[in-house]
Amino acid sequence: MNYPVWTVPFLGTTWIIGLVACIHIFISHFAVGGGMFFAVTEWWAYKTGDDRIYDYLKKHSQFFLILTTVAGVVTGVGIWWAIGLVNPSGTHTLIQIFTLGWAEEYLFFAAELATIFVYYYTWNRIPREQHLSLAIWYAIMSVFTLIIINGIITFMLTPGNWLESRYWLEGFFNETYWPSLFLRLLIMAALAGMYALLTASLIKSDLDFRAKMLKYASKWFIPIFILGPIIGYWYFTNLPADAVENIMTGIQSSGIGNFSVLARAIYLSMILSGTILVFVFVGPYLNPKGFSFNAALLFMVCGLVVTGIGEWSREMLRKPYVVYDYMYSNGILKDDAAKLNAQGTAFAMVAKWTPEGASTQRLGKDMFKYQCMSCHTQNGYRGIKRLLGERDEEAIVSFLQLLQESDPDKNPYHGIMPPLVGTDAEVAALAKYLATLKENEPATQHVAATTSGEPRTSLE
Amino acid sequence: MSTVTQKAYQWLDARLSISAWQAMAEKKTVPHHEFSVWYYMGGIALVLLMVQVATGGLLMVYYIPEIASAHASILKINTQIDFGWFIRSLHSWGANLMILGLFFHLFSTYFMKAYRAPREITWLTGLGLLVLCFAFGFTGYLLPWDEMAFFATKVGIDITSKTPIIGEYMATLFRGGPEVSQVTLSRFFVIHVFVLPASLLGLLGIHLLLVQLHGMSEPKVFRERPKEQQSVEKFFPTFVLKDLMIWMLVLNVLAAAATLAPWGLGPEADPFAPAPAGIKPEWYFLAMFQILKMIPAYVGPIEGEHVGMLLFGLVGALFAAIPFLDRHGEGKNHHLISEAAKWFGIVVLAGFIIFTIWGMLE
Repeated sequence: MNYPVWTVPFLGTTWIIGLVACIHIFISHFAVGGGMFFAVTEWWAYKTGDDRIYDYLKKHSQFFLILTTVAGVVTGVGIWWAIGLVNPSGTHTLIQIFTLGWAEEYLFFAAELATIFVYYYTWNRIPREQHLSLAIWYAIMSVFTLIIINGIITFMLTPGNWLESRYWLEGFFNETYWPSLFLRLLIMAALAGMYALLTASLIKSDLDFRAKMLKYASKWFIPIFILGPIIGYWYFTNLPADAVENIMTGIQSSGIGNFSVLARAIYLSMILSGTILVFVFVGPYLNPKGFSFNAALLFMVCGLVVTGIGEWSREMLRKPYVVYDYMYSNGILKDDAAKLNAQGTAFAMVAKWTPEGASTQRLGKDMFKYQCMSCHTQNGYRGIKRLLGERDEEAIVSFLQLLQESDPDKNPYHGIMPPLVGTDAEVAALAKYLATLKENEPATQHVAATTSGEPRTSLE
Repeated sequence: MSTVTQKAYQWLDARLSISAWQAMAEKKTVPHHEFSVWYYMGGIALVLLMVQVATGGLLMVYYIPEIASAHASILKINTQIDFGWFIRSLHSWGANLMILGLFFHLFSTYFMKAYRAPREITWLTGLGLLVLCFAFGFTGYLLPWDEMAFFATKVGIDITSKTPIIGEYMATLFRGGPEVSQVTLSRFFVIHVFVLPASLLGLLGIHLLLVQLHGMSEPKVFRERPKEQQSVEKFFPTFVLKDLMIWMLVLNVLAAAATLAPWGLGPEADPFAPAPAGIKPEWYFLAMFQILKMIPAYVGPIEGEHVGMLLFGLVGALFAAIPFLDRHGEGKNHHLISEAAKWFGIVVLAGFIIFTIWGMLE
């Protein structure tokens, strides 16, 4: 409400972050897992003195360098652009709380980047011991980027004691920090194996060596399949009670469909993880000679899909917050929402970009933009027109009043959607606007901010 | 192998001749060439069939084949039974994917001319299995007793009645009377869970036995290579392990469909209500449905639908007869027949795709 709103028709802004973030995760996790892979594999090559492994690593590092430094960096910057545009309130909160954390992350990242360039360009130019040291140094630097960013990502789901103390380290080392860190390390190792399967399947000169490397790459899945379920359970037991409740509701209502998409996504990721284990076992492990590049590619798609679903589920677990128990996904602080509704303060009074004396239509539109559009679109993803169904204006008012209820027994969307903030007149204006949406063709949307109106009082 | 495992193996081997089976499987080879990917299609259909058997058995625990309760029992499976929705979704999505897999299997076999001697009976049993799967789809579609199922079945049986000579008899046999009723549901249920599985078991047994007996067919592109360039791989373990790998991918697709788009249930069928707009059969019958819709009411003195059914019958008969018409380098017109068979297949496949999409878009 303190920032202009970016609207993206049909896809919605959440998917902009989702798509950029998914690609970035596929690459950044490989960057860290790949670091561990280089260190261990080069150590293996050093111990055995096998030149073929060195040759393979050199080629693999070229692919690694290009992918992580070009696509990884571009999507990394892309995430900042996307979250800054989509959820500026959440972004500024994270920057303010973790200023020192971000600075540290940046330093490790710069060291990581510098090391990988040196690592690649010093192949066959420096003694093997020194090159191995570079691999180990890169692995350490890249793991440290995870150590930092993991604290910030987990903070958003479980802010821990920060909610009381407002001390950043208490938010950083929160309830899910350690299980999440170990879980991600396991995923990263598996992803490193997955990418290695792809590059190893391209070895053409020596088929026995190709089989050896494929079998070796498949062993990188062993840690996640032994420890994954245990650490996954550890993570689950540290989730906020309401998030667990949401999963349980979803499990019970999976057949009906209401609120069950998260539970169904979790089932899918569990099934896919199981089939991936069998796939690795019967494919590159038992039959490396018969494992083709195409199979590696298909396998990679499955692996990335599971990773994507896992990340998406984590994001969904946080609903309706962007910082759990502190800030809702539409950028309104939890305490402010309760205070405004209790005092009967108009939402327009705190929405900077809504002009004084705005028309009912403008008020309704702004209510929709500031309170609904962070999750809903008009016609596309979570399309409001489809979700409203056959409801007329009166029915929409009743529904919106339901969303203002703070009692979970009266509001079935409690814990799933943020409470609606606004006076009766504002709720009526929103209902009128939503009813108009249903009647009219979709209005042209602009990728632009509201331009008129003076900024008004802020709650912050 | 540890001593215990070794002893267990010896015990089983003495009774089941495992080593003999293993030796046979290891002796068998699979040609390796650019079209090898099509060899996996039959296996894909097979694994999906296994899913159908397992999930179908579970659904039977709660399904009630009685018109007053059928819809409610499916609703209960979907909403009250733990993971009932998942089992049902696997069954419904699995059926559709299986038929898709069978189409790939059918047309890849056709275009690689794998129906030629000595595989004529394998081809015919394969066609028989496809017909049985269509029948599975048709009978299973009615069982939830929802609006769309009821009216689509009604239309489907009406179309069957247009088959020349035996049509009316078949329609009455399916319906068990003049209207779709409890008798129809009972008959469809028995056909779906007993008659078809029993028939399928027998036919599939023969089909798989013949596949093992004759081995994988070698396409022309492979046969014409010099012997030293004809690379093969062992059926066991190499091909079997690859098969398992592909099965995992297929199960992933099935799991994704079942979890992300659980199979729905329409409102309960009301036989006295007017038919809803836009009744369509399942996608694999859609091409035929669309063609029948386009044929005029009368073609000369003959009723249009009779003509349509005759046309489908003719295409089916030609497919069945193809191994006997298009044979290995026999007769002076052999090349011509081979080309004609190829183009006939292309026309049928293109027609199937075009009319199916057309039907979907309408």
